[in-house]
Amino acid sequence: MSSIKAFESSYENQWCPGCGNFGILAAMKDAFVSQEIQPEDALIISGIGQAAKTPHFLKCNMFHSLHGRALPLATGAKMANHALKILVNTGDGDCYGEGGNHFMHAIRRNVDLTVLVHNNRVYGLTKGQASPTSDFGMITPIQHHGVISEPFNGPAVALSLGAGFVARGFSGNTTHLSRLIREGMKHKGFSLIDILQPCVSFNKVNTYDWYQRRVYDLFEENYAPDNFENAMTLARQRGDKIPIGIIYEKEKPTFMERIEKFAQGPLILRKYDSGKLQAFLEQG
Amino acid sequence: MGMDITVKIGGEAGQGLQTVGNLLALVCREAGLYMMAINDFESRIRGGHSFFQIRVSDQPVGAPHHKVHLLLALNQETYDLHGKEMVPGGLVVMDGDKKTVEKSSCVVPFGDLAKKAGSKIFANTVATGACLSLLGASFDLFKTILLKRFGQKGADIIEKNIHAGELGYQAVKDVSFKWAFEWKPDTPRGSLMTGSKAIALGALASDCRIAAFYPMSPATGIMTQLASFADHFPLVVEQAEDEIAAVNMIIGASFAGVRAMASTSGGGFCLMTEGLGLAAMTETPIVIVNAQRPGPSTGLPTRTGQGDLHFVIHASQDEFPRFVFAPGTPEEAFDVTVRAFHLSEKYQVPAIILSDKYLADSIFTVGKKLLAPESIQRFIVTDDDIKDPEQYKRFAVTSTGVSPRALPCAGKSLVVISSDEHREDGHISEEIEDRLNMVHKRNAKVPHMIREMNPPEKYYGEAETLLVSWGSTRGAVKEAVDKLREEGIDVGSLNFVDLWPFPSDKAEVALKKAKRFFVVEQNATAQLGLLLKEQIGLCFSKAILKYDGRPFFPNEIVESFKHYAR
Repeated sequence: MSSIKAFESSYENQWCPGCGNFGILAAMKDAFVSQEIQPEDALIISGIGQAAKTPHFLKCNMFHSLHGRALPLATGAKMANHALKILVNTGDGDCYGEGGNHFMHAIRRNVDLTVLVHNNRVYGLTKGQASPTSDFGMITPIQHHGVISEPFNGPAVALSLGAGFVARGFSGNTTHLSRLIREGMKHKGFSLIDILQPCVSFNKVNTYDWYQRRVYDLFEENYAPDNFENAMTLARQRGDKIPIGIIYEKEKPTFMERIEKFAQGPLILRKYDSGKLQAFLEQG
Repeated sequence: MGMDITVKIGGEAGQGLQTVGNLLALVCREAGLYMMAINDFESRIRGGHSFFQIRVSDQPVGAPHHKVHLLLALNQETYDLHGKEMVPGGLVVMDGDKKTVEKSSCVVPFGDLAKKAGSKIFANTVATGACLSLLGASFDLFKTILLKRFGQKGADIIEKNIHAGELGYQAVKDVSFKWAFEWKPDTPRGSLMTGSKAIALGALASDCRIAAFYPMSPATGIMTQLASFADHFPLVVEQAEDEIAAVNMIIGASFAGVRAMASTSGGGFCLMTEGLGLAAMTETPIVIVNAQRPGPSTGLPTRTGQGDLHFVIHASQDEFPRFVFAPGTPEEAFDVTVRAFHLSEKYQVPAIILSDKYLADSIFTVGKKLLAPESIQRFIVTDDDIKDPEQYKRFAVTSTGVSPRALPCAGKSLVVISSDEHREDGHISEEIEDRLNMVHKRNAKVPHMIREMNPPEKYYGEAETLLVSWGSTRGAVKEAVDKLREEGIDVGSLNFVDLWPFPSDKAEVALKKAKRFFVVEQNATAQLGLLLKEQIGLCFSKAILKYDGRPFFPNEIVESFKHYAR
C-alpha cells in the first residue's frame, strides 16, 4: 500500500510560503498514491528553477538536471529503460524558454513522459524577470516599460505539433490537478500539463484570486477532448475565462513503439553477446 | 621499402571518385598489399575539386606520400592543380575530351567507353580498369572484386561493370608505366578501415546501447557506421535536435543504466560543454568523440586539424576530472574506445576521444584482429550489495572518490542526483563542509585515474632528438623518423594517446634522456608542447606545426626537421 506519508521527505522545503508549487507537490503525491506507486518506483526528472526543485521535496528517484534540458535527459533515460514511468517537473522559463527546442522535438518524438509545466508567468528563482509566458505589458524590474513580446502558449504549440495529451491545470485546485496527473500518466505518449500557478513573490498580477475568478472546469462541462479545432480554441482561451482540464487527447504510437527493437524489452535488460560480436568483427 | 606507389584520382564532387578509390583499395587488399588512402573534398555536394589519394606498398604505410606516380584526372582542373606533384616519369591519365594533352599523359575516353558499356555512370569502372591495367594487375583479379562489390545488384549491373572495366583495361594495355609491378596472389594483410569505423566498432565492443548525435562533419561517419550495425545489436542511434539534446540524452541513458556515447566536431562540442559539466557534477559516465576540424566557428568543415586539445582538457566551467584520449590509428581508435567506456564507468567521469578529419575519413589497412571482450564490467551496485538500501547515498564519500553507483527504480535504494552542489545523499547543499567534501571527493579520483594512463609510444625512444606528437600525426612522424635515420640522423619519436589526466611521471621518464625534443602538431600554437611545459617543466626546442587543414606528409616533417636542426 502506498501512502502520502511514505512520500514525505526530510529535506527542508525552500519555496516561499504560499507558493503555487505546494499545490502541485500535493497533487503529485496524491496522484502517486492513488496509482499505488511507491517512492522507489517513482522517477522524476527536472530542469532548473523553482519548479525543478520539486523532486527534492518528496521521496523518489530523481535527476535534477540543467536549465531547459530535462526533456532530452528524460528521453535518454526512457530509451535505456522504457519500463520507467517518468514524471518531468519544469517551469515556463525552463520548458518554453531555455528548453524550447527540446520541447518541440520531444513532442514530435511522442516520448512517453508526463510533463508538468509549472507556469507562473515569471522568473522566480532569478527574482522577477519576465518569462516566455508573461503577459504583454507586464512590468518587471528589467522590463520597466512592460513586456514587449507576445506570450508563448505552450498548450497551443503542443497541439500544433501533434501532441496526444494536452491539459491545463491550476495549482489552486489540487484534486483536479491530481486527476490530470493521473490521466497524463495513464496516457501512452507525450503528455503536457500546463499548470497555472501564482507566484506570491514576483507576479502581482496573476494571483490566486485572479485565477479563481477566471478558471472553469472542463470535467464539469462534460467537454469531450477529441476534437482538434475545439481544443485549439480552448488552448487559446486565456482572458476572462480560462478552461482547466484535458483539452485534447488522442492516442498514437509512442517513440518507444516506433523503435522496433524495444518490443523485445527494455535495452537495459538485453544481454551482451560476446560471440555474436566477435563474429561480426571478423566479417570485417 | 620495396614497392611504394601513390595513385591520385581527382575530379568534381559527384563524379564518383570514391568509387574508383574504393575499388582500387579492395583490389590491392585482395592481392595482399598494404594501402592507405586520404579523401580530400570541399564542403559541397556537387562541383568544386575533390581527390582520393591511395598509397600502395608491400610494407605497412601509415601516412600519405607527397608525390604522385599515377594521376587519374577526371577533369582539367585536377591536372592544373596536381600536375606539379608528379614524380619524374609519372603518368597522367586524362579523359579524351579534355583540351590539354601533355606529353607525359595518356588519353582514355572514360565517358565514351562507359557509354559503350551501357551508360556514362560506368565511367568510374572504366577508369579503375585503366588504372589497374597500368599498374600491371590481372583483369581476373579486378573481375573478382567487381563480382564481390556488385554481386548483390543483379546480373545486368555486374555484366555492364565487367564490360566497362574491360574496356578501360584494354584501352591502355599497350601503355607502359614505369612503376608497374608483378601482382602475386597473396592473402589480405588485414581489413580496410577508417578511423570512424574503428571507433564505431569499439563502441559496439564496449556494449554501447545508446548513441546520440547531430550531424556534423567529420564526426558523422561514426554514427553512419553505428546505424548500419544497429539492426544486429541492442543499440539505438538517435539523431537529436541539436548537440545539447544529444549529450543530455546520453547522460539520461547512462543514468538509467546503459552505456552511451555522442559524437561531434568542435562546434558541436562547444554546445555539449554544458552537458560535459553536468556529467562531471552528477558523476554520470559518458563517452564523447570530438572529431576535430580547423576552426574556430564553422572553420574548415571538411579539413583536418588538432586544435582542440586544450579546449577539451579545460572545457566547461570550474574544475573536474575527465579522461582525454587521442588515438593515432584505427587499431588504437578501437582499443581506446573500449578503454574510454571502461574507465569512464569505473571512475564515473566523462571520457573524451579526440579524432580528426584525417583519422576519421582516411582508409588504413588494419592488420590486428579486433577482439570483443568476453564480458563487460559494469561497476553498478544493487540492493544486495548495499548494507541498508534505505540509507543509500549516491555520492557517499570514499577513499578513491568513487561512490557505489545504483540505478534508479532498481530496488529500495533511492537514487537522488542534482546538478547543484550536493550532499552525499544527492540533495542540494550550500554548506561549506558539503562543498569541500564533494570537491575533494571528485578530485580524489585523479591519482587513480593517472595510474590508468599509458606512457607515450616510443619509436627509437633512446635517440638524441625526439619528435613528440599526439593522435593521428603518429604515422607521418614514424615515417619521418625512418627517413631521417636512413640518412644517419639519431632521431626517434614519442606519440601520446593518453593525454588527460596527464601521465606526467611516464612522460618525464620518456623524455628526460633525450638531448632535445621537437613537437609535431596540427595546430598553430604547439598545444602538446605547452602542456609538456606546464605539466613536467620540459621545454621543446622547436615546433613543427601544420595548420592549413591538410594532413602531414612525412617529407614535410623531414624537411622542417633538417631546417631546424641546421
